[in-house]
Amino acid sequence: MVSVLPAWGYRHRMEPDDIEALIERTVPDAEATVKTPRDPDDDKHFAIEVVSPAFAGETLVDQHQLVHDALDGRLTKDIHAIELRTRTPE
Amino acid sequence: MAFEQEPEYSAAEAEDIVERTIEQHEVALFMKGTPMMPQCGYSRKAIKLLQLHRDDVETVDILQATEQFRAALKPHSGRETIPQAFVDGEFVGGSDILEQLHEQDDLADTLNA
Repeated sequence: MVSVLPAWGYRHRMEPDDIEALIERTVPDAEATVKTPRDPDDDKHFAIEVVSPAFAGETLVDQHQLVHDALDGRLTKDIHAIELRTRTPE
Repeated sequence: MAFEQEPEYSAAEAEDIVERTIEQHEVALFMKGTPMMPQCGYSRKAIKLLQLHRDDVETVDILQATEQFRAALKPHSGRETIPQAFVDGEFVGGSDILEQLHEQDDLADTLNA
């Protein structure tokens, strides 16, 4: 079931859970783990690890692109920056 | 974050700078600040990694026209986040991809070093 997202451009404070949901909804069979890596008052930097079979055989640039596409419209605005790690399941 | 300043370039000028830079320089980095004074930790990490292998990295400080450069870079990389590194006109990654390539000992190859 696909739930309704806030309208693009609407300034919405992103929680780690929101970002995980956004990625898992878009990247096939993805398992996303999102943490805030910096000081607790900084709510716009996130460390993200995404595990998905969809990354198999893709370059790192293409793997990251899948995740960037999932966050389209939020990066650089609601989300200042992400530290992204992608891999396929063991 | 740094205060917003008036953009020094129009959208068309930023597009022109992006195209000329990635065409004319084998290794190019679009970053916040300069190699001597990066204005963001991710840009600092990216230039340090590139300079491990190349001493001829061409850099552009996107803070001169932040929104114009973000828009101008997107057709070339598919993203608006900074920093962005290019080799032979091809997008090769932001700071996290450069770091992962470095850890896998693939960075020198990627940079034709």
